[in-house]
Amino acid sequence: MTEHDAGSGVPALRAERLGRRYGKVWGLRDCTLEVPVGAVAALVGPNGAGKTTLLEMIIGLLKPTEGQVSVFGETSRAGTAGTLARVGYVAQDHPLYRDFTVADMFHLGHAMNPSWDQKLAVARVDALGIPLKRKVKSMSGGQQAQVSLTMALAKRAPLLVLDEPVSSLDPVARLEFMRDVMASAADTDLTFLISSHVVSELERICDWLIILANGHVQLAGPTDGLLAAHQLLTVPRDTPGAELPGTAIHRTDSDSPSYRHSTVLVRTGADQPAARSRPGWQVDPVSFEQLVLGYLQHQSTPMTHDDPAQAAQRPRPSTKEFTR
Amino acid sequence: MIWVTWRQHRGQAIACLAVLAALAVYAIIEGTSMRSAFSSDGLAGSCLARTQGIGCENGIGAFMDKFGTVVNISFWSVALIVPGLIGVLVGGSLIARESEYGTWRLAWSQSVPRARWLAVKLGLVTGGLIVLGAAMTAVITWYRAPMDRLTGRMQHNVFDFEGLVLTAYILCAFGFAVLAGLLIRRSIPAMIAAFIPWLAIRLIVEFVFRDQFLAPLTTAMAASCHTQAGCGSGIGVVPQSVLPQSTGRIGDLVLGSKPGNLVSYQPADRFWPFQFIEAGIFVALAAAALGATILLLRRRAAWSA
Repeated sequence: MTEHDAGSGVPALRAERLGRRYGKVWGLRDCTLEVPVGAVAALVGPNGAGKTTLLEMIIGLLKPTEGQVSVFGETSRAGTAGTLARVGYVAQDHPLYRDFTVADMFHLGHAMNPSWDQKLAVARVDALGIPLKRKVKSMSGGQQAQVSLTMALAKRAPLLVLDEPVSSLDPVARLEFMRDVMASAADTDLTFLISSHVVSELERICDWLIILANGHVQLAGPTDGLLAAHQLLTVPRDTPGAELPGTAIHRTDSDSPSYRHSTVLVRTGADQPAARSRPGWQVDPVSFEQLVLGYLQHQSTPMTHDDPAQAAQRPRPSTKEFTR
Repeated sequence: MIWVTWRQHRGQAIACLAVLAALAVYAIIEGTSMRSAFSSDGLAGSCLARTQGIGCENGIGAFMDKFGTVVNISFWSVALIVPGLIGVLVGGSLIARESEYGTWRLAWSQSVPRARWLAVKLGLVTGGLIVLGAAMTAVITWYRAPMDRLTGRMQHNVFDFEGLVLTAYILCAFGFAVLAGLLIRRSIPAMIAAFIPWLAIRLIVEFVFRDQFLAPLTTAMAASCHTQAGCGSGIGVVPQSVLPQSTGRIGDLVLGSKPGNLVSYQPADRFWPFQFIEAGIFVALAAAALGATILLLRRRAAWSA
């Protein structure tokens, strides 16, 4: 995996104006983003945002209607051996053949992947205490998820894509699964792309964030940089939008009788200096969850308290500004 | 991929072997008793060969009373649908099951492109079905051998199980079911959706087109039939007593009589040409369905939408 050196400048994943149409409806449109080598990237968005569509185009299951994806600099072509071999995939609900044993599943992995690492696979389920002779249908959901992850790791692909890996698991299994993903990410130079609509699962392990909603990328970039570039302002309720620094992403008005105020998520940046506290204002750093929720609400509810001229000028948050 | 195919289909392979074994047990029991009756009724001797059936009426009648209904009618009725059932049961789940359990995301995201995945599976399963069809044909042909001496092999309920067509029927039902599985993505509906057109085509080919594969011949009715009411017509189900036949030769498929004591018929020696024509029709249908499946699977989007 040394050829995928982080210093070479080739991203692990690059999507350029990627789009996929189902009949007349666009499942994903104009998606441009990059994930650097070695990153653990979170792909966040509500159900139906286009997450699975994006992931299936990345792994080569789905052919883009427009644009293209490249993995480690090589353009993905749906359904070709080269593209399939470059990406390991744990599908939603981690499907396995129910009447297969774990050993059968590994046999299948070996038969269908030229670079299969049987030692790694066996050692991993051994460490997890899953017997090789156990049938898939008699394993718990957590164990099935672990076998799926093991198969993706043993494929020895430099990019791993996990689609909603924990959504069907109980809280303990979620914790254990994510801990194992984190350990794999720390031990190797693999690049991870993990989709979820459960934000709290991702916060601890992801250093790259992509927010997808309504088939469009809302925000993408390194988590630290994105957090530093956003602030949470608490301002009097009647503060006009034009007086707020930076770009207002989402505004919540509180009608509490004691203190009528608004909470506003603002984006600041190189050309938009960070907000300084004014009398009656409170300026706070933003948390991962607040950032994600702010963008998801931004896309779903228009900000009615802005004056129309300001709203028209407000640039749509685009990927490129935040991609490094 | 060979191992993967075997691991996924070994249950079906065992079930098919069980069907074959059951058929063989029945054929051995019934076939053995038919053979001994055939000898003891005096039919195995020179009577049939020398006289084309004239003078053997008593022996033929006794033999037909004992076996005719079971071998020519009951067996045909059951065995008519068996090739279709085998084909749709094996084919219906081949792709649809991957959709039902979501395992297509697993199967098609390994390093083997899905078109190759499908081609290998189809190749191996088709091979298995050909072996099964050939074995069933061999068993049935052995079982029917004494009866075939009396009826020939052109009669509808004989023609359907001997030679090449039985295997071709299985392949056609299989091809339809695989395609239906890709389009419908549910095993049971795919099996039903494949079986109905298979049965319709199967019956239409048999009862509408088969008699006309080659232009029928015409001959004068055998002299013995002028005086005898019971000359066999041989249309559809074999009558209890088929001999002597109105063409005067055992094994001809008599299509009908014409004015002036003429009969139109398909001669017995057209068995193999007719087998090739009918098997060709069903193999072509199977190939078209399987080819369409591979093309659609290569071109179509994933199943997420």
